[in-house]
Amino acid sequence: MSAILKKEFLVFFRNVGLVIFVLYAFTMDIYIAGKGIKVTPRHVSIGYVNEGDIAVVNKIISHFHSPQFKKPKLFLNEKSLKEAIYNRKIMVGIVFNKEFVNNLLSGKTAKLQVLIDSTAAAQAEVTLIYIQNILLKFEHHLKTPASIDIIKLFNPNANTKWFMSLSELMSDITMLGLILIAVVFVREKENGTWDIMLLMPVKGSLIIFAKILSQVLILMAGITIAVGLIVFGAFNTPINGNIFNFYLISFLFSFAIGGIALVIAAISKTILEVAHLTIVIMLPLIFLSGAWTPLSAMSPFIQFLSYFSPLRYYIQATQDIFFRGSGFMDLLPYFGAEFLIAVILFYIGYRKIGRLF
Amino acid sequence: MEILKVKNLSVSYGKKIAIKNVNFTLKEKEILGFIGADGAGKSSTLHAIAGVVSFKGEVVYKGYAYHSPKEAEKIKNEISLMPQGLGLVLYDFLSVGEHFDFFRDLRGLKKDEEYETRLLKMAGLYEFQDRLAGNLSGGMRQKLSLILALLPRPKLLILDEPTTGVDPISRAELWDIVNEMREEGMSALISTAYMSEASKMDRLMLFDEGEVIAKGTAQELIEKIKDYTYEGEIESNECFSFNKRTYCLNPLPLKKAIPTLEGVFFVNALKKGKKPILIEVPKKNIDVPEIIVKAKCLTKKFGEFIADNCVDLELKKGEILGLLGANGAGKTTLIKMLLGLYPIDEGELYLLGKRIKSYEDRIELKSKIGYVSQKFALYKDLTIKENLEYFAKMHSLTPKETKEKIEKYSKMFGFEEYLNSFPKEVPLGINQRFSLAAALLHEPVVLFLDEPTSGVDTVARSAFWKLLRKLKENMGISILITTHYMSEAEYCDRVVVLKRGVKIVDDEVKNLHQKYPGLDFEEIFLKIYKENQ
Repeated sequence: MSAILKKEFLVFFRNVGLVIFVLYAFTMDIYIAGKGIKVTPRHVSIGYVNEGDIAVVNKIISHFHSPQFKKPKLFLNEKSLKEAIYNRKIMVGIVFNKEFVNNLLSGKTAKLQVLIDSTAAAQAEVTLIYIQNILLKFEHHLKTPASIDIIKLFNPNANTKWFMSLSELMSDITMLGLILIAVVFVREKENGTWDIMLLMPVKGSLIIFAKILSQVLILMAGITIAVGLIVFGAFNTPINGNIFNFYLISFLFSFAIGGIALVIAAISKTILEVAHLTIVIMLPLIFLSGAWTPLSAMSPFIQFLSYFSPLRYYIQATQDIFFRGSGFMDLLPYFGAEFLIAVILFYIGYRKIGRLF
Repeated sequence: MEILKVKNLSVSYGKKIAIKNVNFTLKEKEILGFIGADGAGKSSTLHAIAGVVSFKGEVVYKGYAYHSPKEAEKIKNEISLMPQGLGLVLYDFLSVGEHFDFFRDLRGLKKDEEYETRLLKMAGLYEFQDRLAGNLSGGMRQKLSLILALLPRPKLLILDEPTTGVDPISRAELWDIVNEMREEGMSALISTAYMSEASKMDRLMLFDEGEVIAKGTAQELIEKIKDYTYEGEIESNECFSFNKRTYCLNPLPLKKAIPTLEGVFFVNALKKGKKPILIEVPKKNIDVPEIIVKAKCLTKKFGEFIADNCVDLELKKGEILGLLGANGAGKTTLIKMLLGLYPIDEGELYLLGKRIKSYEDRIELKSKIGYVSQKFALYKDLTIKENLEYFAKMHSLTPKETKEKIEKYSKMFGFEEYLNSFPKEVPLGINQRFSLAAALLHEPVVLFLDEPTSGVDTVARSAFWKLLRKLKENMGISILITTHYMSEAEYCDRVVVLKRGVKIVDDEVKNLHQKYPGLDFEEIFLKIYKENQ
């Protein structure tokens, strides 16, 4: 057992390319995902037409500031504003026409015209929410003297970094788990050492288990680096629950993934085939997990399918551990489900590769 | 007429010089043979001439001089290269016919029904046009690769070790095809590791460590070493002995013998100041019964295909048994059954008198067998020492035992200085000996060697066989070996010949020589195969 572990570690660390790739996936990749994927408005160009010329307008406009918005630009009339939007010089246009000003002053429902270029749909959508918030604030301000603070239940600006980096980490663990575990077996096939491996007077089950364990340990080390350096280090993500629960669920998840990897290893002859199969299997796993799209937004059938994805429980448990601070007892359903899936997948994979032993 | 002239050709990869200053000319209808071990520079020279690697120097083809792959583009439709490796250019999921379509389109050729039919018939593949390449035997794949290379009717055919790992039957057929095309005006450059093929070439160039060490006809080369060749084999650190001959620079009180081409390599090694390694294997008695392995009517089927059909086999104590046969004759399948890697469909297997039946029996079987696979499959990311440590640990040796054994074998087999190198960095002959050491760590009673000498240079092969005989004589180990070098069969005590999964011969080598007097073993083998149609 220790002989196999030592051998697999040596083989892993001597493959400099692979080590660099794994390190990249566990650090830079997560960092870039956290930093880069933003659905909050950033430097949105804004233009406005002011036909009423009252102080309120300037006050409203003054709320559109950096870093979300560029300095708002004043246009002479609606036509020139529309042209600017058409030419992509301006993304959002707000028209304060005479009717709006009159209604505003007389206390009637004031209708504001907002023109928005929604090519970048998500960005536009969120920008709209921003504008609504700003205007809402003023509506209340004008009618009642007491200022009402709008409590933001969901603050996208602060949360995406945490959410995205964790989602990316889960996806990376899925991908690397599949590849690393399948490759320890397929490498033996590719190098022609498979028979030599089988000739060791050791039970096949022990070889399979030791090989998987070696890669699971590498994954755990990678997770530690990712969580320590990027999640806690660079992004300062708070953890409200117990980190050991996170390790436990990661460990269970690795074995569930290991089961799938064994199936891949059993049917692939070359490392290239492993790469192909990994992508084909990984994408549905990630789509069905709620990593990128909330499960509640999916069709009931897809939601049903997601119950079979080991990644679903992993992600939900992880988010609960980090953000909600759930304790072990609260997490028990996730642990249970993950364990069950791990056992089933591992059994299938073990049977499949076991036939080659 | 001279069609190719090579002037001062050198190829290097980074700092490593693959081949230095080669000069030769090739006439029309001439076959020039490149002979030498793996890594001697044969492939690099062939690839440079074919215009697929960059080189220094000049190649002139029919008056057109080129100095780089780019300049060689112009003449590429007249040259055909078949790279090394069994059926490497083939696609497993295309049929024979589809390969023709694909290569024809690739080369932009017009379909020439008559010529293609002729090629297919020459290769004996006419009836198999619908068969997928993946389902062809090794010899058939190689023949298909060859006729595909002949499809554009090349004026110059370049074959890089077309016969390595191919059985003697298919080898003879490959040669027939080449000779037929040569009659029609084609010239060829062919590299080979089999000395027995040298006689089929018009002229030879011998390669050794990136240099051409000798040029000429086989007769001329043999003539040159006549004075150094003696009959019989002796133990000496001044002389090399191989295949009933001894090569020595100093005069010996022995009868002179007619040299073989292999001798050129030994004499060259001696002239370079190389000495044979002396291998001392301590005497040891192992207490085992007279019959080590006994197989009764072993049968293995893959679907409809019967790989081995009721094969009986007996391996006695201290015996070297050669397992011979064409590619696809069922040798590897038989070995895998004996090793416990394949379950046995029918028949009985006994090891040391005990029937091997269950999974547990097979694990026990594995601990008593040493195995060296084709190409010495060892872990390339581990150093030689780490490899040995891994195998020792897997066989539950204590660290102390492991250390002693590694020391013992590395000294005995002469690879002490390479212990901390990676397998890639050392010559193939060293890899061969260290994989043998890995197979011996757990003191097996029997060794299974699957083509352990393929691609290894002559000098290293002679050392390896010497080692095997010592293991047999001094340690009483039984050895089952497969090889495509028929000259090596002479070293076996007994040979078993398989053909299409059936055993056709099981006899002692000396009996076979009596039965077919005056023939060498390759000729005997071909004869036996023909007699058993």
